[in-house]
Amino acid sequence: MASFLKSASRIPPAYFVFAALLATLWLTKPQLMNLNVMGIFIRQVAPLGILVLGQMLVMRVRSIDLSGAGVLLLINYLIASGLLGDMPLTLIIILSLAIGCAVGLFNGYLVAMRRVSAVIATLAVTVIITGFVQFLASGKPPGNMPELMNDIYKMKLGPIPLPVIVWTVLTMTMAVFLSRFVYGRFVMAVGENPTASHFSGVPVERTVLVAHVLAGFFAGVAAIVQSASVAVGSLRLGLEMPIDAVAATILGGVVFGRGDGGVWGPFFGVMCFALLFVVMTSFGVPEPGKQIARGLIILLAAVFYGLNTRKS
Amino acid sequence: MLPAVSMKGVTKAFGSTLAVDDVSFEISPGRVHALMGENGAGKSTLMKMLAGVHRPDSGEIRIAGQVVTFADPRQALAAGISTVFQELSLLPNLTIAENMFLGKEIVGQFGIPVRAAMTARTSDALAELGMTIDPNTLVSELSIAERQFVEIAHGIKADAQVFILDEPTAALNAADVEVLNAQIRKLKAAGKAIIYISHRMDEIFAMCDDVTVMKDGRHVSTQPLNTLTPDALIALMVGRDLEDLFPCRATNLGHVVLSCRDLVLPAGTEPLSFDLHAGEILGIAGLEGQGQSEIVRSFIGQVPGTHGALSVNNTPVKLPLARQVGVRSMQRQRVGFVPEDRKEEGLLLGAPISENIGISLQSARPGFKPLIRLRETVIRIMKEMRVKAESPNMPVGALSGGNQQKVLLGRYLASDMDILIIEEPTRGVDIGAKAEIYRLLRDLAEQGKAIIVLSRETVELIGLCDNILVVHDRKIVAKMLGCEATEHAILNAALKT
Repeated sequence: MASFLKSASRIPPAYFVFAALLATLWLTKPQLMNLNVMGIFIRQVAPLGILVLGQMLVMRVRSIDLSGAGVLLLINYLIASGLLGDMPLTLIIILSLAIGCAVGLFNGYLVAMRRVSAVIATLAVTVIITGFVQFLASGKPPGNMPELMNDIYKMKLGPIPLPVIVWTVLTMTMAVFLSRFVYGRFVMAVGENPTASHFSGVPVERTVLVAHVLAGFFAGVAAIVQSASVAVGSLRLGLEMPIDAVAATILGGVVFGRGDGGVWGPFFGVMCFALLFVVMTSFGVPEPGKQIARGLIILLAAVFYGLNTRKS
Repeated sequence: MLPAVSMKGVTKAFGSTLAVDDVSFEISPGRVHALMGENGAGKSTLMKMLAGVHRPDSGEIRIAGQVVTFADPRQALAAGISTVFQELSLLPNLTIAENMFLGKEIVGQFGIPVRAAMTARTSDALAELGMTIDPNTLVSELSIAERQFVEIAHGIKADAQVFILDEPTAALNAADVEVLNAQIRKLKAAGKAIIYISHRMDEIFAMCDDVTVMKDGRHVSTQPLNTLTPDALIALMVGRDLEDLFPCRATNLGHVVLSCRDLVLPAGTEPLSFDLHAGEILGIAGLEGQGQSEIVRSFIGQVPGTHGALSVNNTPVKLPLARQVGVRSMQRQRVGFVPEDRKEEGLLLGAPISENIGISLQSARPGFKPLIRLRETVIRIMKEMRVKAESPNMPVGALSGGNQQKVLLGRYLASDMDILIIEEPTRGVDIGAKAEIYRLLRDLAEQGKAIIVLSRETVELIGLCDNILVVHDRKIVAKMLGCEATEHAILNAALKT
């Protein structure tokens, strides 16, 4: 019994929460349990899910990345403002990914090489980018998103929306990369003990740096998907996304230095967010109520994080 | 007169190792009592029990006739025990006065600390030691010697009756030692009892009235110092039969595989040079903290500011190596470094045995390459090393100390290093596993590998090594053949100042 409890405590809470939400929905609103309806709801959290892939990676190497908010805002604004002119979509995508990687590289340099606190460094980067976007935007309010992007966003493969497929494929790629490639072992080792990793010959600094670059890359992808999901650009993207990403990652069983939940734990952490909105919308909970519920999920994740660290 | 301190039948175990085994110890007021023994004899543990750091498993401690139990060092200080440990316990970012009154601040109305009163009383305590430092100086700005004086002043301020000085002179130069000794004489004249732990023979004989010798956690002898000669004292510290643990030695050595020329460690020391041959096990002996581990760690870039020329298999390596790449670039030269602190620096405790053994092999490859299959290698290594575990998937943290050490060594066996540098190959390992590790190291040497071993256990070095370098104050002070070395000779060389 004790060993059963012990192994149960290693299962990420995301799976329990997901199962509970799914059961609630099944019992109360069975008519919502069809792929078309669910697909639309899940599509909404695809940008968050993609951002979580990076967050999970940096948290496993004992860092954190809050600069996703800045990357999202900057790319969102660049696409919507018309500053890029008539740039073809491929170039826009490449530019977005390059911005993400560049921000990630800068974060990684600060955190891995200069040993700056990750929270402070990445938060500062967000503040700087926000200021920069406001500077660009003075007198130039964001305009419409290219219609082509929105059309692609709405595409489906069978009943499954394209963004959900992109998210799932990226997650699968990540799962394979971390479990079958040397870099995945570096991530495991650095998360477990950076000093011992160093003495074993693991390139600790490089591992952390690459994790941040990848996190920046995923923020770039998330920004493109998020931009495609809206018709009009916005200057009011707050810190919610990266905080949600941290919460989903922790719910998924990945805490600083420990990757119990693997890649799929955080995936289901994000799914919890999706289901929660379905459940609340179907019960007619208004926007402020949803906000409170989101806060409660983040608190739940923080409590779980506290429990998990005390255990180890 | 009642003894100032009397410890009776005190025992303390850490895990399965008995650090202190049924030791009794007494000291009277106005005496300076030396506590001697080799590294790991249990001196520090005994004193830490008196100072409230550890609690004895059994036995009793009396202070001025009263039985006491301390929950923490603060209670010990309140009972009149003041300690100056090797590792200092002052907070560097606070001032002297703040350190002195930490947790016991003099407060005025509304609980506001009265700085002036604390400064004045600190000044008085320092003045008693003949020091004129401003009590508002940050501790981080003080020299090691000054910090030790501050610790002693702390004891004086607390009106301590017993002072424990654990290797107080290890970091001091001759002038400071003289000042410290003058303080000790003053304390003695004031009727305080002083327990003095040091490895410096001349000091012991100059300062102390009595001596207690410990060995392997047991009490060996207590007697007045004037009945002893330095040689007789060393003989008391050593006196142990060589256990029949060790395999025989190399018959002939191969060519030079690692040569260290004019290595200068940061603290502005004399350059040192030595060679390591294929098939050789080379020991580096010396008292605690004399630079043994700095020498070998400078080879992997862990000691900034070293200079010198290193040559590995005739490939020159320029020192210092950068910290981030040192370990990796030496591994490319097929040099493995096995750190002493298995739990912090060696193993990934939460990860399975297989990952711990395989990590060096995997990390020799670029991150974007697929993992190589290591299952067979891991199983072979576990078999060769006789690691007792249910499966390679067990987390290494769940194993016993001996098995953990075998896994750690197995990592470098798996990556087939030509040269191994091992700090404390048998730390915290039981006697059975020790013998197995010795045999394994000798087997490796016979296959033509070369091994450098650092150890606090002189017996281990004598039994295991072909050649032994004795280090004192970051200098090689003696070189001896393993088969001719004795504990007495090594200790004698290591104590030379």
